[in-house]
Amino acid sequence: MNGETPPMQNILKAARPVSFFLTAIIIVTAFFSQYVSAAMIGTEVVTRLDRTRGEEARRYVYSVLVREDVRAVLIKHGLDPDEARARVDSLTDSEVIRLADKIDQLPAGGDALGVILGVALIVFLVLLITDIMGYTDIFPFVKKAHR
Amino acid sequence: MHSAGKRPHTGVVLVALILINLHLAGCSRLTYRDQALREAQLPQHFEIEAVPFFPQEKYQCGPAALSMALGWSGLQIPPDVLTQEVFTPALKGSYQSALIGATRRHGRMAYPLSDRLNLFKEIVAGHPVIVLQNLGLSWYPIWHYALAIGFDLDRGNILLHSGTTPRKTTAISVFESTWRRSGYWGILVLPPNRLPATAELSEIIPAVVGLEKAGQWYAAIEGYKTVLSRWPNSLAAHIGMGNGWYAVGNLEAAESVLREASRRFPEEGTVYNNLAHVLFERGNIDAAEGAARRAVDMGGPLVDVYRQTLREIQAGRPSPKL
Repeated sequence: MNGETPPMQNILKAARPVSFFLTAIIIVTAFFSQYVSAAMIGTEVVTRLDRTRGEEARRYVYSVLVREDVRAVLIKHGLDPDEARARVDSLTDSEVIRLADKIDQLPAGGDALGVILGVALIVFLVLLITDIMGYTDIFPFVKKAHR
Repeated sequence: MHSAGKRPHTGVVLVALILINLHLAGCSRLTYRDQALREAQLPQHFEIEAVPFFPQEKYQCGPAALSMALGWSGLQIPPDVLTQEVFTPALKGSYQSALIGATRRHGRMAYPLSDRLNLFKEIVAGHPVIVLQNLGLSWYPIWHYALAIGFDLDRGNILLHSGTTPRKTTAISVFESTWRRSGYWGILVLPPNRLPATAELSEIIPAVVGLEKAGQWYAAIEGYKTVLSRWPNSLAAHIGMGNGWYAVGNLEAAESVLREASRRFPEEGTVYNNLAHVLFERGNIDAAEGAARRAVDMGGPLVDVYRQTLREIQAGRPSPKL
């Protein structure tokens, strides 16, 4: 027994270089995972950003639809604002982005909805919304929702 | 058993009632759904010409359906070759993801479809649809892939290349209930220069990104080009096309795509970041640095990557990777 190393120590001895190696790998991996690499941005990353824009656009359109003046015009024309909201729900991200863009391009100073809108403008806005949702068919530049 | 002869009438009446009930329920639903079909103004009957048919071997409906769809798209690949790519022997079947993966590996877009009306619209557009059916019951499933190639609304039938039967006539109501049990799972197998009739931007982009993933760069480039013909303002398609040209080493084309993108999206940092890498590799160091600087100025959630791009260009050693 004297001259022989016990089996457990044999294993430990053999394992030493392996564990050094593993430790080195872990340290290197940990280092590189924190390191931001300069890279071409992948297409998928952009797709995720697009989705974020869709959510923003949706919130924006909702904020238009809850405006009292917009609601009043909707109701005056026999359109249920809640139904309008439900229709917006069913639009795809890209359609909502297009809708939000159109609202943004309205001829009003500054942030279009920060100012008090004229009646004519509100009617235009509402018809634009209903057009995109497929209720009406007035503006040829609007791509209709498929329904 | 001994009571079988005693009260036959109750049983008969019960069965009759159940049947009438089922029949009524079936009818009312059918009418409702067919109304949706009528309103869609589809032709009364339609069949896609020239869809090849391959009878399936045992359990090989996945490879057979895919082979037929690929054949329609212009690629002649026999089912037994596809078997290695999609068939899982232990399952005695093929996973949906395997079908999608194989479609992409052969340079075709796999576009998901899960709506009955869209199924008919795609058929009318000349696009056959691979559908997953459960021919059994939810608790005793018999999964089956078939290729939908036509329909006859007068007779209420759909035409399927299915199993060992070409142009199999199935009642739409029956097809509907077998397809429903798969959650209306279906895919279009399209050459990248062809858009689905019911294409949505949010679905077509991932379909083309899938070609990138499969390393089918030229197909992906073609796919993005097709997307841009319908949605010229898709940022993802511009970026994807730039990445495609970059991946195949055509830096000149990548630069021109990204320059065009920078005109359309003057405030997108990603465009300038990628343009910076391409310009640098083309040896246009000053312009590269300018583009990287512009990306950093634009900020946004990826600004750290842009900063790194700028640092590495200034240090003269970018290590771009996709």
